[in-house]
Amino acid sequence: MKNLIIYLFLLTSFSFSQNKIPVRNINLFSPLNIKIFGDYLFCQKDYLRAIGEYQHYLTMASNDTVEFKIALAYSEMSDFSKAAEKFAAIRSNSPFYSDAEMELMKSLFQAGDFFEFRKNFQNVIGKNSTAFSKTISLYNFSFLLTNNPLPAEQEFLGAFPKEDLAKVKNFYEWKENPPEKSPVTAAILSAIIPGAGKFYTHKYADGIWAFIASVGFAYLSYDNFHAKHYFRGWLFGGLAAGFYAGNVYGAAASAQIYNAKIHFDFVSDLKSFLDARNYFLPKFKFCK
Amino acid sequence: MKSKLENIFLLFIFILLTRNSFAQDYLKKQFEYADSLYKNQNYYDAITEFKRLLFFDKYGEYKYQANEMIGLSYKQGAKFSDAILYFTIAEMNARNNDELLESKLLIIRCNILRRTTSHAIDLLTLLGNDKRFADEEKEIFYWKGWTYIFADEWNKASQEFSKTDTNETLSSLCKKVDEDKYSVAFADAISHFIPGAGQIYTGHYLSGLLSLGWNILWGYVTVNAFEANRVFDGLVVGNFLWLRFYNGNLQNAKKFAEEENLKITNKAMQFLQFNYAGLKP
Repeated sequence: MKNLIIYLFLLTSFSFSQNKIPVRNINLFSPLNIKIFGDYLFCQKDYLRAIGEYQHYLTMASNDTVEFKIALAYSEMSDFSKAAEKFAAIRSNSPFYSDAEMELMKSLFQAGDFFEFRKNFQNVIGKNSTAFSKTISLYNFSFLLTNNPLPAEQEFLGAFPKEDLAKVKNFYEWKENPPEKSPVTAAILSAIIPGAGKFYTHKYADGIWAFIASVGFAYLSYDNFHAKHYFRGWLFGGLAAGFYAGNVYGAAASAQIYNAKIHFDFVSDLKSFLDARNYFLPKFKFCK
Repeated sequence: MKSKLENIFLLFIFILLTRNSFAQDYLKKQFEYADSLYKNQNYYDAITEFKRLLFFDKYGEYKYQANEMIGLSYKQGAKFSDAILYFTIAEMNARNNDELLESKLLIIRCNILRRTTSHAIDLLTLLGNDKRFADEEKEIFYWKGWTYIFADEWNKASQEFSKTDTNETLSSLCKKVDEDKYSVAFADAISHFIPGAGQIYTGHYLSGLLSLGWNILWGYVTVNAFEANRVFDGLVVGNFLWLRFYNGNLQNAKKFAEEENLKITNKAMQFLQFNYAGLKP
């Protein structure tokens, strides 16, 4: 009886001291736990740590999903070269092989490696109809980002869904006739009328100042020579020549800057368009 | 016999239960492991291991400590926004006023470091108005002082530190820095009246004299042109040469004052970083 009371006391004291259901001792570094922790990190978008866990897991087990998710994690981190390398390493017997082929092309496209991208695209023609139908749009888009000749308009637009046609057509037309400004024209205009080249490149305030400075100093030079103030005449003449030369050079440079800006805006628009559509590829739902 | 069997049965149950009571040692070990990584300045891995601890800590035993440690690790890596996120989670899981105060102060210290001054001051004011922390007034003054140091308001910092009694060193250091600093407005103002005076005030004598010389030269040429009724001449020289040097003189005066002030404050910050032994943000 005495023992029973002692045991009951110990029993109740230990049971209530926990105030919760006791948990089995677990190994946090077992392959399964590493994987589920990696999955958690992946869904938290903590991709670098998720990759670390997955790679640790792969040293102990083999898993096609994990291999694919490592590549996806690199892609999410915008490490496109590494993502391409990982997608390319997915084996042909993996259930993710077809997806990996498409994602590989997306990564190559995002990495700007259009040569490899097109090489891979040639490989899927006729071999993998899903990959081909999903990546043909991306293939056509690659022509908008390179200096290769564009395909015919009908052929180009044929790859896109109806709802995107108007926007894609705008991109196509922009690429066919980019609204660039010619540096030579800008320089010639500025040579004829100082500041005109800047007006041509939409830099109106710069154009007005270039005109005032060049013409103003030229007039001062003329006026001083006329009044026989030769030193001042030469001084202002030199300044006028400097401003004039700067105005011609500046106009050409301004045209180049203008062109660089419109190209940058074009590429940004294009990438935003593609990002919004996940590069015409399906999205994977590994996380709830 | 019956009693013996009963004893064996009860002992068996007891062993089972006590085994379970110590079962969560794995969490403690994981915490110690993560903590050792933190102490070895391996902050990236420390964050991973604290996150692992949180993931497997189903009853939230380490919710406060692990989140605080993740926050501290991010803070060490100067990722203050991430650190604040985890300190906030720690704050929500604080089990007593001490932990609550600690997490709140850590959030404030991150705000000081990332120079979100007004937010740090707001948080400190809120803390000061919280009756639970009525005894922590000096701590609040102390961190307000640091907030003003990072906001480059050394006079205000000195005033806050002087309220803490124990921080005479900091108070006098801040006061000295404030006195040593050049007045940007004064440098700008005197340069309006005497070109180059602002540069001379900040110790850039050659630059000041050159500025004065250029202004006298082009000022003379301009005035001379107007006197000789060469109005257009005067306008162009005045606009393109004299005003250009005059404006340059104003800009330089402010720039030099700001640069010199930066040198003074950087020196003070270096002193605080390497020589001040007290608690720092």
